[in-house]
Amino acid sequence: MGKSRKKVQIIILLLIVILGGYAITTQVSGSNGKPTEGSKAPNFDLLGLDGKVHSLDEYKGKALVVNFWGTWCEPCVKEMPALQAQYDKWKDKDVVIVGINAGEDKMAVENFVKQVHVSFPVMLDPEKDAIQSYGISPLPTTFFVSPNGKINKIHLGQLDLQTLDQQIEELVNS
Amino acid sequence: MIREVIAFKNTKCECGHQNPVGTVLCEACGRPLEEQDRESNEVLEMRYDGMARRSQRANPNFIDRIWNFFSSVKIAVYMIILTLLGSMLGTIFPQENTFLNIDPSTYYKETYGTAGLIYYKLGLSHTYESWWFILLLVMIGASLVICSLDRVLPLYKALTKQRILKHKQFLTRQRVVYRGPVELESKEWVEQASVHIKKRGYRVHTLDNALLAEKYRFSRWGPYVIHIGLIIFLLAVLARGLPGLHMDQHVAFPEGEIKHIPNTSYYLKNEKFTVEYYSEQDLPKEFQGKNKVLPKLFKTQATLYECTASCNDPSKEPVLKVVDKHNIEVNDPMDYKGLKAYQFDYDLTPILRSVKPSLVDKETGKDYGTFQLSIKDPERNYKVGPYSLELKEKYNDFGLDENGQPVTKTPNPNAPAFLFLIKGPNLPAEGVHYFYFPKQIDKERFQQDAINAKMNGGSVPLELDVKGMENVDFAMSTTYLNIRVDKAMPFVWVGAAIVMLGLVLGFYWQHRRIWLRIDNGNLTLGAHTNKNWFGIRREIAAILRKMNLEVDEKSLDNGGNHS
Repeated sequence: MGKSRKKVQIIILLLIVILGGYAITTQVSGSNGKPTEGSKAPNFDLLGLDGKVHSLDEYKGKALVVNFWGTWCEPCVKEMPALQAQYDKWKDKDVVIVGINAGEDKMAVENFVKQVHVSFPVMLDPEKDAIQSYGISPLPTTFFVSPNGKINKIHLGQLDLQTLDQQIEELVNS
Repeated sequence: MIREVIAFKNTKCECGHQNPVGTVLCEACGRPLEEQDRESNEVLEMRYDGMARRSQRANPNFIDRIWNFFSSVKIAVYMIILTLLGSMLGTIFPQENTFLNIDPSTYYKETYGTAGLIYYKLGLSHTYESWWFILLLVMIGASLVICSLDRVLPLYKALTKQRILKHKQFLTRQRVVYRGPVELESKEWVEQASVHIKKRGYRVHTLDNALLAEKYRFSRWGPYVIHIGLIIFLLAVLARGLPGLHMDQHVAFPEGEIKHIPNTSYYLKNEKFTVEYYSEQDLPKEFQGKNKVLPKLFKTQATLYECTASCNDPSKEPVLKVVDKHNIEVNDPMDYKGLKAYQFDYDLTPILRSVKPSLVDKETGKDYGTFQLSIKDPERNYKVGPYSLELKEKYNDFGLDENGQPVTKTPNPNAPAFLFLIKGPNLPAEGVHYFYFPKQIDKERFQQDAINAKMNGGSVPLELDVKGMENVDFAMSTTYLNIRVDKAMPFVWVGAAIVMLGLVLGFYWQHRRIWLRIDNGNLTLGAHTNKNWFGIRREIAAILRKMNLEVDEKSLDNGGNHS
């Protein structure tokens, strides 16, 4: 009797700790479902300019830089050459840079990409699904995702060549 | 070791029963166990029938200490008070989640000044999601479970194995007591009395000269039933955090468009949105003549579609099936399998969707034909009469940057502009570039004709012209719906219903018990209830009257604080 009572006590206390811990962590770290540095990068299924559907799983095992941008956003336009330069520099070293356009027409994006000579993969997000799941508010916002799918760093605003290089270096070494 | 021996000695009753540590009244005969208590004449402490709570042990170890902490009612009361105080803090300023679109880091300072800043910095702008608030709720939950277990099991045991013959002191120290001689022989008296007691709805057990009568024992389980309900309630609220069980979002639906509801397989079409306003006469006096416009009714005729195939593949069109139609009004949401769409807001700004311009010869006015130009995702090539039009560029919100280059200023189609390359008869072989602004106001603002003349080194002999409003397609309005899913809700209701059941059990019935014994022609009667002492005294007086013992109700009162 005494032994089984103790077992029951331990089981109940453990259950309370597990449930309570779950409740607190989901509420506190959840922060309205927006991903934060250290959390898992949300998946996406988006149509690329190449006509194929791309998802996050495709880039598993590679360091990934996800840049959210729009043609109307000046800092986004200004950082495009830096992104392209870094794409060329790192593309053979298992680093991928992708651009996700925030809800514009295919045509506008295609014209823009041609104009500024961007060759890294660009995807369209007409329903702003990825924008929402990544919790983007200002553009540009850049996510640095490590090969294991965790968000290493979130950068708000324009990136220059040097910081970008540093961030990618850090990402590769992480 | 010595303590245990002493404890052993102290808990053994003279009736021979071995009681656990912490017992107040002998589990068997009801005699007080403490020497001091035995000498007193005070009314007995009848909580849990004097049983030891589970947590009361001689040598509590670490786990026992945690257990004891949560099993204490005092601690539970403190936790409830802390939670109430915490909840009050959350009501000083509006919580973050009551706003749709604010940046809390600046909003609180701007709106409420320094107090707002402190409020935000302390994390009180999201009190109910803060770790300490959830921790308090979890601890109250733990306390509910442990308190209940700690008390309900000993109580259950005490009530299922009650001895009929109780110690005399147990009877005389109840709050309701009667003592007096009886004329009949003891066994006969007990038998006769039991008939009368049974008539009052009691279950009667007799043993020679002793009697135990009891009714409405189930009301003792009321508090524990309440606790079970509360635990289900808390777990259900907790479960809302699980993916798929809870959703609360606001989505804009322009009229006439099928739009995907994010994170679901559903699509919703706003077929038509209507708004009615109060007429001037219907308005209250204070508002009349002040140009106030108050909506009386706003309604969205909505069709809900479910995606059946190629749902998550953006390269294909999803296959949709109509599953529900409803006229959504305030307080009359669409409800389909737990997915609810509430009318939330509306915007009557028309959005240009497509135009059907004609290609016209400027000089002769000859109309070569029309084509459909949609503002969003337009086709790239058009054929009109002998002419071909190729769409080269598209700007949603036309403007010029610092270098004089055309750009789009925002992603919203406020001032759409299209650049065509037109080829055909009477035009240069490489074609002419032609800027087209579908909105008349933009055409004038940006001087469409001047731009076109400048680009081609002379005026263009053709023009695109929308001939009348029938060739323009607007989404007249946008409705904002609040999309909600709350699958944990049924469990919340079940929990609440169980709480209600427990409250009814505990409030409308009382557990009443009567013990009596006759020693040498002298009757000793004691009775206990958990409330309504007046009622039980009255009942006993009536029973005794039937046995030819005239008793004043009040004289049965043995003191103690009572209701």
